[in-house]
Amino acid sequence: MHALIINGSPRVKKFSNTDKILDKFEAGMAEKGATFTRCEVSDRKQWDDMRKAFGENKNILIAIPLYVENIPGLLIEFLETLTPKNDGTEIAFILQGGFAEGVQLRCGEAYLKILTEKLGCKYAGTLVKGDNFGIRFMDEKTVQKITGAYTDMGREYAECGNFFSEKCAKFTGPEIFPVHVRLLVGIIFKTLAKSGFKKAAKDWGCTKPLNYRPYK
Amino acid sequence: MILIVNTTADKSVSEALREELKNSAVEAEIVEASEMKISHCIGCNYCWLKTPGECSIKDDYEVILKKMIHAKQLWVISDTALGFLDHKGKNIFDRILPVAMMYLKFVGDQMRHVARYKDKFDIGLIYKGDPDVDYLKRWNERATLNFESKSLGVFSASEIKEAVSCMH
Repeated sequence: MHALIINGSPRVKKFSNTDKILDKFEAGMAEKGATFTRCEVSDRKQWDDMRKAFGENKNILIAIPLYVENIPGLLIEFLETLTPKNDGTEIAFILQGGFAEGVQLRCGEAYLKILTEKLGCKYAGTLVKGDNFGIRFMDEKTVQKITGAYTDMGREYAECGNFFSEKCAKFTGPEIFPVHVRLLVGIIFKTLAKSGFKKAAKDWGCTKPLNYRPYK
Repeated sequence: MILIVNTTADKSVSEALREELKNSAVEAEIVEASEMKISHCIGCNYCWLKTPGECSIKDDYEVILKKMIHAKQLWVISDTALGFLDHKGKNIFDRILPVAMMYLKFVGDQMRHVARYKDKFDIGLIYKGDPDVDYLKRWNERATLNFESKSLGVFSASEIKEAVSCMH
């Protein structure tokens, strides 16, 4: 198979978590002999070529970071410029976010079915996975560990052309965490995570407390 | 104060709102955002980790953000595309991020960001066009959870009276 892969993140490629996920996913596709063309919605200079590629390709994969329970505004702006197809083209999605629970991504996932229909295409499923916020801040080894799981999903997509398998459903992980895990993670939020965020802020040159209120 | 942000170029919706609000004691401010320069969110996370509470994009959105944190309600008037808000409407929401902090907590059984400000604003939508209304309602309910507020409802531009009845 050959797929057009659109990175729907508005973040520039260099800092895009979605980009790192796609690197791993594409490696899995390549192992199975699939080919792909990647483009980035964050680069407006690519939009003309992307529109053309959307018209020409029958297998399209859009990878999306969740922005306020849906797709980012910049991706909407690009998609608004497309002409609906109605030629049997299939669109599959990778939806990723920061919160760890699967339930956090379901509202966004529901929209992707509507979106596919509006674009005159067939829905080929969504690979849903959270807990990806830290990719940007982690060391290379940890990033490899987190994103590495996407390689297997790339193999799956190359073979099936969709994300409808049980394997893909399980990839999401827990919909919500059980009570004892929430209690433990809640403690981590107040301790380790807080100090981790403060360290990341310091590394970025932040000079104010993270709870600073500039307008009040 | 109620903040109404009109992201459409159609000022007749704003006019209809003004007319309806004339007879109420509600203090409302309408911002015509279609004439403002408002970028999309670029996901830089500076508002959480480098310049807490401040967006790194220096455009007209800052005016809206400053008003928003003093409002009891936020209403967004938006055109629609592909069954949802169009990009101008969605950008208003994507850029809200500075009102939340990087810190996390559990609310019920789900993770949430901790709010930056004590006062919260509930959110209503007024749309033009032909969106998937059931989805839009679901989305607004879900989105407001993240701002520790609640949905005031989703109304078409022909339901101004109904929308105003929720403004108080």
